[in-house]
Amino acid sequence: MTLSKTVRKIPLYFVVALGAFLTLAPFVWMILSSFKNSTEIFSYPPTLLPDAWRASNYAKLFAERPFGTWYLNSILVAGISTTAVLFFSSLAGFAFAKYEFKGRTVMFGLLIGSTMIPFQLILIPLFIEVSRMKMIDTYAGLIIPFMAPALGIFLMKQYMSAIPNELLDAARMDGAAEFTVFWRIVMPLLRPALGTLGIITFLGSWNSFVWPLVMLRSEVMMTLPIGLRALTENVPGKGRDYGMIMAAATLVSVPVIIVFIALQRQFISGLLSGSVKQ
Amino acid sequence: MSAETTTPLAQSRPASNARWFQRQAKLAPYLFTAPFFILFTVFFLLPSIAAIILSFYKWNGISSPEFIGIRNFQRIFADGDFWQAASNTAIYMFASLFVVVPLALVLAALLNNKSLGLRGMWRSAYFTPVVTSTVAIALVFGLLYSTDYGLLNAILQAVGLPRINWLGDGTWAKVSIIILLVWRWTGYQMIYFLAGMQSISQELYEAAMIDGANDRQQFISITIPLLRPVILYVSIIVIIGSLQIFDEPFILTSGGPANATLSVAQYLYIHGIANLRFGLGSAVGLMIFVVVFTLSALQMRAFGIFRED
Repeated sequence: MTLSKTVRKIPLYFVVALGAFLTLAPFVWMILSSFKNSTEIFSYPPTLLPDAWRASNYAKLFAERPFGTWYLNSILVAGISTTAVLFFSSLAGFAFAKYEFKGRTVMFGLLIGSTMIPFQLILIPLFIEVSRMKMIDTYAGLIIPFMAPALGIFLMKQYMSAIPNELLDAARMDGAAEFTVFWRIVMPLLRPALGTLGIITFLGSWNSFVWPLVMLRSEVMMTLPIGLRALTENVPGKGRDYGMIMAAATLVSVPVIIVFIALQRQFISGLLSGSVKQ
Repeated sequence: MSAETTTPLAQSRPASNARWFQRQAKLAPYLFTAPFFILFTVFFLLPSIAAIILSFYKWNGISSPEFIGIRNFQRIFADGDFWQAASNTAIYMFASLFVVVPLALVLAALLNNKSLGLRGMWRSAYFTPVVTSTVAIALVFGLLYSTDYGLLNAILQAVGLPRINWLGDGTWAKVSIIILLVWRWTGYQMIYFLAGMQSISQELYEAAMIDGANDRQQFISITIPLLRPVILYVSIIVIIGSLQIFDEPFILTSGGPANATLSVAQYLYIHGIANLRFGLGSAVGLMIFVVVFTLSALQMRAFGIFRED
């Protein structure tokens, strides 16, 4: 009985494992290739393991290209964006969840409506506007337009609604001003929600491509995805240095994957909370 | 605001402070929503309106804008490249709809199977592509697809099949993009199906089991019908996402060979941003908007998403 049960499970495990293998194989190939030199990468048939584990691609990345600067740019932009998004989203979410005020319905309607608008509609006018504001090729231009996203506010408002009003009123009775109520009472209760929104925002910023592509001009301002793309061009007389590109791709993706695996519960609950709600 | 932050929690209020206390309570919601409102107006509402207006102008950002009525739209519709981009985008959309969605559904059913061990680990594995930068992964796929030294062709040859010119042939280039899309998004859509499946009552399956229904029969007669709303929801996000595809063809093929993989969003970028045809680009954006907005509105109506409880 138990044997036949085990046997029946084999196809299930086989299919699931095959799919997982196909999903992870490109990452494995990326990491393996990052240790190969050009001769090895351009050999056919390709070798599976590098003939020697050399770190030269990684060294070249930092020595010949401003990869360290790109990394720092990405950390700065994603870090500042996430902090700002968390603060402004919870502040506005708090107001929408816990206050009655003039214009509330209209503003909330606009907020929801804006989630149905694709970024392509505003791309060109936003680009013109940001260049008029002299924010082209700056951190400010990458961060400021996206500091109070509708989805973040909506998410925070949902979580906020679960906080009992009595708790807030008790603090007010003790003489707490509204901002104090928000900062000292509401924010600590929101920690799980802040974690969720924080992960989503950080990932979105870290991987963001279209807007930085349109906006950034100089090599020292580039974030990682733009820098990665820059590695594929500007090599006069030479083909793509795939070893170096794979090293860069590894350094861009692997830390994020590790963080995701550690925090996936929050990330996934965040993705679902803005959606299927019946 | 700084005055408020320094107010200690428990403070005896003198009468003179009572008025300030009342006023700040009244002002609070306006102050709290002000950053959102200002940013939204400046960086979202105004550009949206500007996009609609710009669509009827010819402007390169240097000379003064010239009103040309609907000529941007006429020019777009008369441009073979646009139709090529539109049909490529439609192909991406249908491929995602008929490959990614069913695959994600089956995968979710497999991972939801009680007799499968380590389900959390499998789920993480399938979800990994979603958190990875598209640029990074498109470059990895570029190496895998390489005709002369790529892994895929080496495998094909090893099993006795001819090599494929993955990125150099128009049809295969589309297939290459679709493989990348399937690889990247199946795990993401799977998450929605898994969540949906976990909300289906176990009693239904137990009853079916007593009636002698096997796994496949249960999947077809219980899971799929009960998941119909989720399937519809996921299908709409797949369509909306497909209409905005940019990164994958941009990095993997630059839209080539001969525009065979060019997407509409890429068409917008090339004409609107790279060639500084702001009016024409905005007109393309407006068209993407109309389609996406209609679909999103249908979706919200169907699901009551964002309802204010």
